[in-house]
Amino acid sequence: MSSLQKYYKQSATYKIASGILKELEKFLDTLGKITLNGIEVIKCILKFQIDIRELIEQCSRFGVSSLPITLSIVGMTSIIVASQVALEMVKQGGGNFVGLLMTILLVRELGVIMSGFAIISMIGSSLASEIATMRVTEQIDAIDVLKVNPIRYLFVPRVLSGFIMMPPVVLIATAIGVITGAITAHLTSGLGYRAFFDSAWLGIYMKDLSVSMLKAFCFGGVIALISCSCGYYASGGAKGVGEATTKAVVWSFVAIVILDMVFAGIFFF
Amino acid sequence: MSIEVKNLIKNFGERRVIDNVSFKVENGKTLAIVGFSGSGKSTILKLICGLLEADSGEIITSEGDIAMVFQYSALFDSLNVADNIAFALHERKELRKKYTEKEIRKIVAEKLQLVGLKGIEKKFPSELSGGMQKRVSFARAIVTEPKSILYDEPTAGLDPISSTLIEDYIVRLKDETNAASVVVTHQMSTITRTADYVIMLYDGRIVFEGTPEEMLRQDNEYTKQFVTASLEGPMQMISEN
Repeated sequence: MSSLQKYYKQSATYKIASGILKELEKFLDTLGKITLNGIEVIKCILKFQIDIRELIEQCSRFGVSSLPITLSIVGMTSIIVASQVALEMVKQGGGNFVGLLMTILLVRELGVIMSGFAIISMIGSSLASEIATMRVTEQIDAIDVLKVNPIRYLFVPRVLSGFIMMPPVVLIATAIGVITGAITAHLTSGLGYRAFFDSAWLGIYMKDLSVSMLKAFCFGGVIALISCSCGYYASGGAKGVGEATTKAVVWSFVAIVILDMVFAGIFFF
Repeated sequence: MSIEVKNLIKNFGERRVIDNVSFKVENGKTLAIVGFSGSGKSTILKLICGLLEADSGEIITSEGDIAMVFQYSALFDSLNVADNIAFALHERKELRKKYTEKEIRKIVAEKLQLVGLKGIEKKFPSELSGGMQKRVSFARAIVTEPKSILYDEPTAGLDPISSTLIEDYIVRLKDETNAASVVVTHQMSTITRTADYVIMLYDGRIVFEGTPEEMLRQDNEYTKQFVTASLEGPMQMISEN
């Protein structure tokens, strides 16, 4: 190696550029693995290679177990937003539009995105750490050696439960959000429930509800797929499990925000 | 011939962990692979059972399943003992069609009896001792009637009496199934009580081949150092890097 090359390799420019390239390589590697796993999951679903008993168990975990935290987060977000806007709008003479604004916000965005965040923190992290633990304790190797497809056994019921359970969870959370919004608006600004719900109906269109349910459907599957994939490629003991869980949470957060932008771009512009 | 490995090479990055390794194991025979930690013993097992792909070389096995008993048992902790053993029978389409649920329960009971653990079907792995977990993993491994059985340090971390029990089961399973067995181990008792042949690996290469008796004779400087557990000799600790 010439002295010029040596000098160049020690330079900050080289270190920054090689660091960026390494991160880019890791990013593309993870993205590729998640995509390939997604394709394999879809293939299994289309061939109906589904363990119904395991699917029911995962649906219960995804839907029922996550419901309290999801309802709390969406409900509290709605209280915060309603308490900020209701009084001001009533003061400015826009009291008749508080319900409409809250409903549009909750149905189009807050209900689904805040439910997504709640599901990631509760279910996504648990899926990633569960599968990562199975990886580092050689349980996934054992599944492979026993000639059982680990994607079919581990991913399919979890991803499918995400697709199935996220829409009803979002629907219930959104309804709770609207109700807590109405109560908060009434308590902070004295706005009547009748006035709130009369305008609330004006803000709901079938398209908004359909897009919200479609988003929930996609978010649920994507969260489960990313979480399972991050856990599946874990390595290196307890530290590896922790890293896989963090990665699953970060990737899921970023993925649903990007997906949300894509949905907004497609359906509301 | 049940397992034949020819000129196997495996690299992890720039490091060669298996360097031109060849051996054969006949049906009904047991080969012990011994050597330092990090000398590539477990990697050979993972290559044979298909968990890793070789960079070059050939692995020929008889038709039929290859079973593996993992170092830390690798039992599915969310399933009870019966479901662990019956895992392949429940999850593999061709086996699910072959057996009814009643037959599966009978097979599970038979396999548990074979490893001396009758009546623990409903227990979970966390309720069992290390030795019992290992024996359940034996039962799970043989449920598909494999033609080859691989053991990754089957007696590691067990007390001497449990180790003897496990060694007896390795011999018993070999006799019952007539499978070709490969045992990766550090323990002299496991080598002398279970193996028909021994190969010793150092730095990914075979440095000794022979019977356990020949190994104990210490004619080879590598086996001499291994048997006497000496720090002096041709083998030095291999850096992981």
